[in-house]
Amino acid sequence: MTRTSDMKENSVGSIPSVHNMTNFLVSSVHDMKNSVSMLIGGLEKALASAEATQLSTHAELMQMNHEAKRINNNLIQLLTLYKLGQKIYPFDLQSICLDEFLHVMVAQYRELLRFRAINLEVRVDHGLYWYFDEDLISGVIGNALNNAMRYTRDRIHIIAEENEGKLVLRIEDNGNGYSSQILQESDDCARGVDFQGGSTGLGFYFSAMVARMHHNQGCLGELKLENCGSLSGACFVLRLP
Amino acid sequence: MNTSEFNALTADMDFTDTTVLIIDDYQEMRSIFREILRSCGADVKKISMAASGSEAISLIKKTQFDIVLCDLDLGSGKNGQQVLEEAKHLSLVGSSCLWIMISAEKSPEAVTGAAEYQPDAYLLKPVTEMNLRLRLAKIWGKKKAFAEIHQAMKQLDYSKAMNLCDQRLTSDKANATDLLRTKCDLLLITGEYDRAKAVLEKILAERDLPWAKAAVAKILLKKNDFEAAKILLEETAETNPAFLEAHDLLAHTLQAMGDLEAANNVLERAVKLSPNSVLRQKNLGAVAMKIGKLENAERAFRKSVSLGEDSVLKTADAYFGLAKVCSVNKKPDEAIKVLGQLNKNFATDEMRLKVLAVEGMIYHQSDNAEKTKQIAAEISQLIDQDAIHPDSEGSLEIARLLMVTDDKDKAIKLLQREIKNNPENAALLQDVAEIFDQAGMGEEGSKLIETLRQEAMLIMNRGVLLVSKGQYEEAVNAMRDAYAAMPANMRVLLNLAYVIITYIQKKGPTAELIQEARSSLLAANELSPGEPRFIRLMASLNEFSASA
Repeated sequence: MTRTSDMKENSVGSIPSVHNMTNFLVSSVHDMKNSVSMLIGGLEKALASAEATQLSTHAELMQMNHEAKRINNNLIQLLTLYKLGQKIYPFDLQSICLDEFLHVMVAQYRELLRFRAINLEVRVDHGLYWYFDEDLISGVIGNALNNAMRYTRDRIHIIAEENEGKLVLRIEDNGNGYSSQILQESDDCARGVDFQGGSTGLGFYFSAMVARMHHNQGCLGELKLENCGSLSGACFVLRLP
Repeated sequence: MNTSEFNALTADMDFTDTTVLIIDDYQEMRSIFREILRSCGADVKKISMAASGSEAISLIKKTQFDIVLCDLDLGSGKNGQQVLEEAKHLSLVGSSCLWIMISAEKSPEAVTGAAEYQPDAYLLKPVTEMNLRLRLAKIWGKKKAFAEIHQAMKQLDYSKAMNLCDQRLTSDKANATDLLRTKCDLLLITGEYDRAKAVLEKILAERDLPWAKAAVAKILLKKNDFEAAKILLEETAETNPAFLEAHDLLAHTLQAMGDLEAANNVLERAVKLSPNSVLRQKNLGAVAMKIGKLENAERAFRKSVSLGEDSVLKTADAYFGLAKVCSVNKKPDEAIKVLGQLNKNFATDEMRLKVLAVEGMIYHQSDNAEKTKQIAAEISQLIDQDAIHPDSEGSLEIARLLMVTDDKDKAIKLLQREIKNNPENAALLQDVAEIFDQAGMGEEGSKLIETLRQEAMLIMNRGVLLVSKGQYEEAVNAMRDAYAAMPANMRVLLNLAYVIITYIQKKGPTAELIQEARSSLLAANELSPGEPRFIRLMASLNEFSASA
């Protein structure tokens, strides 16, 4: 863990230059991430104890833990985007067993899903392996799952299959689907972060970047939002070469 | 996979007897990890904790830990990687120890590269019970899959290791990539470049894997096809900007092609990405110095030295580099001080002699003629006693000093020996030429190098030629003569072993002959460890020892 001294870079009377500002922001994000790590550790410990479910604040604790993890994921994604921009992200292509990968992903949400009475089903071929950066793709799937959990009525499907030489990952729900505005905007992957609207679009921007980071023999990964899944709600589709 | 199968993934792990070491500079983090392990079923009494790298090392010296959880960033002192390097380098932890490196974010070192010492896994914070359990289960499976292969590799039985890889590849889909990668490594170690290339091309036909491209580049380098290696590595580094191995190999290639400017730029980029490599900083220092970027060279050498202070991987070369660049940058006092530190860290007679020679040159550069002469005289006396035999680099340093103190005959004698011992080492021959050049004997030097080189090549290959004519006894005698004339020539040593082995195959083994071949091979391996030819010859020699 790095000890960052906030005072040093933000000395009184001098406004940091743009370059220093970036360093300043990056090291602050690091520092925040460390704090959030501690927070999550404490919450996990509290929730793991036998009497946790008996507490009158159990629901709040569950929600807090979920939000803390969301903050952590967002901070990681900010740092990752910074590194991708600087060409210093350590992209790590590994052969991943989809069955295991998706079940591990989902297991992290097990308690929350049960708590919110959402039925989640993972459909994946038993022997399906694919090459991708595990950390990046789990960030993308996490974004999609968080979104689905927020807007679904009570069901979510995660489907992984090979189609035309590409890995297709679908996260579907039975909510009302995406608005036509979001669908239109999502077609333009290069859309910037919209600070005016309610959502910053960080999650989508990150996911689109990650999709394009994955390339093989001239093919790029791609991201698509649709309203035509098997549950007739929103459908988040990631295709990786 | 359903839930019960999923649980089965981690079910067979029993932590009750497991010894664990937690290394983190933050007390809160140490407690969190201890809690996680406790809920995994570990016995708290068997969990040790360390707040710093040095504390961790002293604990590792006392206890054989089954699991080590180590934060990569430990504040001041040794970092997590340096703790790992020291523990593995000094064999304080065995191959059964599961070492997990924990970091706040992914580091370039985490990308499966060529680093000599690697943890079994990297885990990003926050670490939860579930992801720790799963990761441990995964590593456990991999350790089991590779146990026999690594055992065979340790015993230098590469063909057995290769067979085991092939066997496993038919059924083990989970470890397929790692098995293929290990197989390619094995083929490179044993020098079967064409087979390795075939395997790699098959992999690359389906998937652009940076490590596979780097491996193809290594083969191209072995075949001296620098241009093709350069193109491939440039493309790999461009599409995978954070893949360090490609940068390091590219810098090496550019250096071999003589394009130091470009090599310097590549290394500058690589140290920006991963600044904490003792070796990379040293390489950067050396290249920057050669192209006259003295400030950069000083910075890089300084960094390498300071990183090395906490590392078992520290190199004397970084100290020499720093001393020399300080001297050129008109800081002779500091240069002498650096040499003092060097003597303290690397205490051998050979090293002291080399240090003395460099010290002499520093006094020469700062116009202290008296001190220069005094040191040169001391060295000259030591050489006459013939008790200390410096390595090639050391001999060159001595020759450099003796040239400027007008002891040219002795200097030339040293240089002649180095040419004969290393007729195929282009970089070294170039350094020799430079020494002649600086002494105003450029033309004479070039002629000498060429004559001696050709002579040496002839003698080196005489034995092999006689073997091909069936004159086995003559071949052995010829190589023994060659060895007497060039005792530190790698090819002579390997060829001597080769002709003895061939002789044994025809006329039967004796204990003396086996011993002679073995010590010749070991001497060659000392000069240049892990040459494929050494490995092949050692394998055939071991067959005799087994059957004799």
